[in-house]
Amino acid sequence: MTTHYDADVIIVGSGVIGSNMAHVLATQGKSVILLEAGVWIPRWKIVENFRTSPRKINRNDPYPSQPWAPNSYSPGYVENTGSFLFRPGMLRLVGGTTWHWGGATWRFLPNDMKLKTLYGVGRDWPISYDDLEPWYAQAEYRLGVSGADDQDQSGQHGAPYPPRSTPYPVKAEAQTYYFRRLKERIGAEGYEFLHEPHVRTNQPWDGRPACSGNNNCMPVCPIGALYSGDVHARHAEKAGCRVLTDSTVFQIEKGAKGLIEAVHCRSSKGVETRLKARTFVLACNGLEIPKLMLVSDVGNSSDLVGRNLMDHTGIGLQFIADEPLWPGRGPIQQGGIFNWRDGPFRARHAAIKHAINNAVPNQEVARILIDRGVVGSKLDHDIRHMAARWVEFSTTFEMLPYSGNRITPSTTRKDALGIPTMVVHYDTDDYIAAGAAKAKEDFVRFVKIMNGTIIDDNTGWQNRDHLMGTVIMGDDPAHSVVTHEGRCWDHPNLFIASTGVIPASGVVNPTLAALAIGLRTADIIARET
Amino acid sequence: MKRLLIATILLAACRPCTDARAADSVIARGAYVARMADCAACHMGNDGTPFGGGHVIESPLGSIVAPNITPSRQFGIGNWTEAQFARAVRRGLSPDGHLYPAMPYPAYAGLSDEDIHALYVYLKWSIVPVEHGPSVETALPFPFNLRTLMVGWNALYARGKPMKHADTASGGSKRGEYLVTVTGHCGSCHTPRNILLGEDQSRQLAGASVGGWFAPNITSDPISGIGGWSEDELVIYFRTGAVVGKSHAAGGMADAIEHGLSHLDDDDLHAIARHLKNVPPIRDANTTQPAYGVASARPAPPEPVDLGVRTPDSLTDATDTDGARLYTAACAACHQANGEGTADQFYPSLYANTATGGPNPQNLVMAIVKGVRRSTHSGFASMPSFEHELTDDQIAAVSNYVLNRFGNASLSVSASDVSAIKAGGEKPLLLRLMGRLDIAAMAGALGFGGLAGGAAILRRKERIKAQFAPSPEHLPEQGEHLTPR
Repeated sequence: MTTHYDADVIIVGSGVIGSNMAHVLATQGKSVILLEAGVWIPRWKIVENFRTSPRKINRNDPYPSQPWAPNSYSPGYVENTGSFLFRPGMLRLVGGTTWHWGGATWRFLPNDMKLKTLYGVGRDWPISYDDLEPWYAQAEYRLGVSGADDQDQSGQHGAPYPPRSTPYPVKAEAQTYYFRRLKERIGAEGYEFLHEPHVRTNQPWDGRPACSGNNNCMPVCPIGALYSGDVHARHAEKAGCRVLTDSTVFQIEKGAKGLIEAVHCRSSKGVETRLKARTFVLACNGLEIPKLMLVSDVGNSSDLVGRNLMDHTGIGLQFIADEPLWPGRGPIQQGGIFNWRDGPFRARHAAIKHAINNAVPNQEVARILIDRGVVGSKLDHDIRHMAARWVEFSTTFEMLPYSGNRITPSTTRKDALGIPTMVVHYDTDDYIAAGAAKAKEDFVRFVKIMNGTIIDDNTGWQNRDHLMGTVIMGDDPAHSVVTHEGRCWDHPNLFIASTGVIPASGVVNPTLAALAIGLRTADIIARET
Repeated sequence: MKRLLIATILLAACRPCTDARAADSVIARGAYVARMADCAACHMGNDGTPFGGGHVIESPLGSIVAPNITPSRQFGIGNWTEAQFARAVRRGLSPDGHLYPAMPYPAYAGLSDEDIHALYVYLKWSIVPVEHGPSVETALPFPFNLRTLMVGWNALYARGKPMKHADTASGGSKRGEYLVTVTGHCGSCHTPRNILLGEDQSRQLAGASVGGWFAPNITSDPISGIGGWSEDELVIYFRTGAVVGKSHAAGGMADAIEHGLSHLDDDDLHAIARHLKNVPPIRDANTTQPAYGVASARPAPPEPVDLGVRTPDSLTDATDTDGARLYTAACAACHQANGEGTADQFYPSLYANTATGGPNPQNLVMAIVKGVRRSTHSGFASMPSFEHELTDDQIAAVSNYVLNRFGNASLSVSASDVSAIKAGGEKPLLLRLMGRLDIAAMAGALGFGGLAGGAAILRRKERIKAQFAPSPEHLPEQGEHLTPR
């Protein structure tokens, strides 16, 4: 008897990782269905939504948030029970949350993957940097990552590091005046400035135009120079993949022998569909994946689904420098200070990344001045004066995994489709508190070097939207959810592709790592299916 | 060592070369001839390998795939003698059968012996063989899949004679003419074609449609052609693809500049410009000002209709067909609200721009549909494709907005126009006639062969049999056979 399958592979979630995997698999001749809860709308519509929005700094505001596919800022969708208001910007549409991201695409360091072995804290990854390197290279070419080949990204001013098999596909853009001046003055005091690899291509790449410095990566790049996952959703579709929108998976159905049999989708009209495949991939966000698994009672023999939630929880610094630096020209972020990226100190406190924000500060400056009662021509003058001298650091910390930091399906609330919303419990710990103490010593020095006037040096903890740990990867089924292949220990035909598999957070943005892992997983699926 | 070996082979195979340096110099000249003839624009491998082939040329009759012309013995020209190569390039008769005139052999017929030799040496001895054929094959509809039909056509339209090296080499008296009409094969795109798809010699360079794009009138007429361009402006255009206030190359012209023209030396670019400025002017009856002649934006229409209350549904409804709103959302980030582009014109103004002010809207629509991609040593231009971003209705609406405010306001575009342009523009009369009726199609096919053949009879009586009995055994010349590629 032959079994009817709707596809060889069904991928849940059309973000950067799901879309790229769909493209890889469809290109290799597999029949692929890519499921997306939200809609597929053109960029111009999102740009229009942004232009007509009264809430310009709300990143989710221009994006769809239908009751049947709410995004993370929809009131009540994410309920917090811990000491920290955990509220990442998560979108529900084809292309996913890479529609608005800083686009930072660092590689993790080899040492980031051996945290427990080297420093006795947190966990190790079940794979090494060398295992992942070829997939990093492929991921970078898919996204057209722009980077500097000549820098020691561990922040120790050594030879180029970590090792690369291929150069960055796009060379690094010129330094902004703002970044250069900060580097000249603060760098002279021993701080190690690095160019940040990112996906704002500065040459035509895969149909995308070059970045022209609209400085609007968040909420939306108006020209599509910044990579977003819809690029590969389109490529996947062209390669034969079926992209089904308005298809929220609400249940994963288990079959015989531990295999997953089908997924069940519900449309905005309430129409339900049962879809069968040989292999399933969950690629629908580090909070939504564990929620779906817990709702479906799938893959949780370790009791770790949804636990070990990590972000690169951070703090900020804003001050007015003693000279015009003209922030806001060029990309919204161009790099930062990396002295604390790796070292024996990680046994005692979190690694630290001091990212330098280069967003146009006029709106924030105007708000501050108006709050102070400044009006009239003085307001104009002061906006010009302060906006030219504005300096902003967005500092992030390495977080360790704790089973108590977790996402669970709500037991009291449901969305319009009758699917439970989510509850997040998240507390910070002494490890990042110790890191923050070090960071604040740096803040004092930064301000002093620039003869700065502080606007805010005590922001409290901030979200960085880097969701890790919730479907954690490991080499022991009792202590992890997926294998190094991304395969569920409990279900051999169920794979997870997400930043959520990352077991040790390092201090850099996790999307590229998750994509590299996902491409590696796609290769495994292609050979098995 | 390798160079020496090549030189040795050249000594054996070609006219006398005395040393490796001479071989290098022939190869360098051949490389330059390849730029003059813009071989790479079509024969560039789809995987980026030089001359690996696979590029699909959208001809009026269907898709024609440019073959591998690397020295691969199995997939390229590795087994061809220089005489066979010359015959393929000049007469469209390759050892593998007849070429289609998407390969501009009617123009290349004029290549001098010296340039053919250099080109052959360059391709044969300095290019890395690509050991695979194109992944797709040429597939024209019946009867055009019968390559022997080309025999008659060639007799009519491919009759040029090689020009003399003395006249056409650098500094020669006919250098400009040679670069325009022979190597540059400008007429392949810019000269309208007659019913049998030969270039209409009475309207040389008067402008024609090519795969949806419009290759404009480049005669010396100051209104319809390039008469209003200075020689220096033309040279800047050839070198960079852009002249502020006039035109920005896209589509096939961007390719021609990227792979060919931008690599030519200044003397040659000036020779081309001088020649074009002396091409007899042809005025289009309905044009009254140059295509770049719209000097400024016209006033904006009244404020676009309010978008209304933001609701979850309104944020996802992308069906709007209001041209002004679409322009604001999709175009204005680069071309600016008033169409003036950026101060440095990296993003060009939409007025004083041939794409919007020309005699038809094809290039505007195609730029929106396909985007613009052009790269030269002086920089690049990149406009994304809106093919998947805007429906045909929306492309028509935004095109009309742009034409009304910034371009030729006498034009208007409908969704069905957009659809037709996307499909490659208006089909040639020949194809339309044939599409009407299958029987007529058969008759047309015979007529096409017959008419062309009739002409062939007059010219070369020995080809009569091949004309009416297109079977392999009647192929007249050694080495020719009918293997389609």
